[in-house]
Amino acid sequence: MKKIETTIEKLKSDIADFYKPDQHHFMVMNAVDMGEKMEVQWFFSDYVYPCETTCFFAIINPAEEIPSIKEVVASAWVAEAELVDLMNIKIENTEKGFVLEPDFESGPLRKKK
Amino acid sequence: MGKQYEIPVGAQHISLLEPLHFKFTTVNEKIKSTDANVFYVHRGIELACCSKFKFRQVSFVVGRVCGLCSISHSTAYSQVAEKLLKIEIPARAKYLRMLVIELDRIHSHLLCLSHVAENSGFEALFMKTMQYREFSMELLEAVCGNRVQYDFAIVGGVSRDLKPEIGQLILKRLKNFMPQLEELVDIYQNNWTLSLKNKGIGVLTKENAMRLNVVGPFARAAGLAIDVRNETEDLLPWKEVGFEMITDTAGDVHARNMLRLREIYVSIRIIENIINGLPESALITETKAFPDGEATVRLEAPRGELFYYAKGNKTQILERLKIKAPTFSNVAAMAETFSGNEYGSVPAIIASYDPCLSCTAR
Repeated sequence: MKKIETTIEKLKSDIADFYKPDQHHFMVMNAVDMGEKMEVQWFFSDYVYPCETTCFFAIINPAEEIPSIKEVVASAWVAEAELVDLMNIKIENTEKGFVLEPDFESGPLRKKK
Repeated sequence: MGKQYEIPVGAQHISLLEPLHFKFTTVNEKIKSTDANVFYVHRGIELACCSKFKFRQVSFVVGRVCGLCSISHSTAYSQVAEKLLKIEIPARAKYLRMLVIELDRIHSHLLCLSHVAENSGFEALFMKTMQYREFSMELLEAVCGNRVQYDFAIVGGVSRDLKPEIGQLILKRLKNFMPQLEELVDIYQNNWTLSLKNKGIGVLTKENAMRLNVVGPFARAAGLAIDVRNETEDLLPWKEVGFEMITDTAGDVHARNMLRLREIYVSIRIIENIINGLPESALITETKAFPDGEATVRLEAPRGELFYYAKGNKTQILERLKIKAPTFSNVAAMAETFSGNEYGSVPAIIASYDPCLSCTAR
């Protein structure tokens, strides 16, 4: 797995520069709760053999809103909606309530303090 | 301009096999747009795997993510855990994992085909397909001890060996199945009534499959050659056992049916090759290490690419486990592909997606 660090400010342009729909396949987003900070990850793979997994990651403050990559990767809204519910993070133009019911405990995958 | 309607389908509906909800906006009978809600069964499995269970127990937990592709989940997790433990599993265990994955693919594809027949109004073909599928369930039970949720792949290898007589039984039953498979191919290919319900219905183009990052038979039937077995061999030697990429171009329900039938031939060839060349070795690699670092694994489940991410911290409990099921990748395309079709075609289209919401919501 190749990991590429990015920032909230550079995320959209970094992914737009990298992602070619006929060469790359967007798999999913993930987040790892590190306590005060959170590592948010965007996973891509290649269509060619041998395939390589590429992970863009950004270390963020969980309270700040991160940009959506929907404009670059059309199917990313599903992964973004899932992370908003399960990790209780804020993503641009993404509302809560797709994965979990609105009255469900917020961010069940966050570490308990 | 016709009259506009909003038609809810699900979460409990006669044509749905899974708890999902679609809201169709139609103009008269033609679908204009679709809203989808696929998360009715969130079970908190990722949380349980990172808090309640030790990393060696997790392969049994993730085997319960899905009743249909249990072996894919337990294998993918075992592989990602083995990466964190930095161990190589014995050759025999690799081949036995592939054998069960391919047996599982046969039963899963036949299940999907039977549901497409049923949702297309062809009840007799549904029963025939399910009847022919039964041999694969019996073989899975013979190999693993269970018809579903096999607990076959465990961290370090596999839990059971393949007895020579079971290997011979599999070869014999596969041989007996071939004429039945030919019969199914003939019906799904040529039946006129079925073609009315399946040909030109629910079309996904290759461009949309790429744009929406579709996986599995749904993508391959549209001409997008994506199959993890073709893309990586670092963990399981798929090409050595005879893997062949199958694609189609029509992208409709009929193409998805035929693609699944053609993939069953490939699965049969892979199983025969594995049994005829099964290497002798131990079944498990023992280690006292704890998972450390982070790793990812991709595996081709019957519905497409299954993805596991795990992060260890040198303790018994994982720091993070992320599961991405194939249907999760297909949600965006599932919602879009209905547009332009008649509302009456919805049941057959849904069944041809072969959705697994149990996996998706976890």
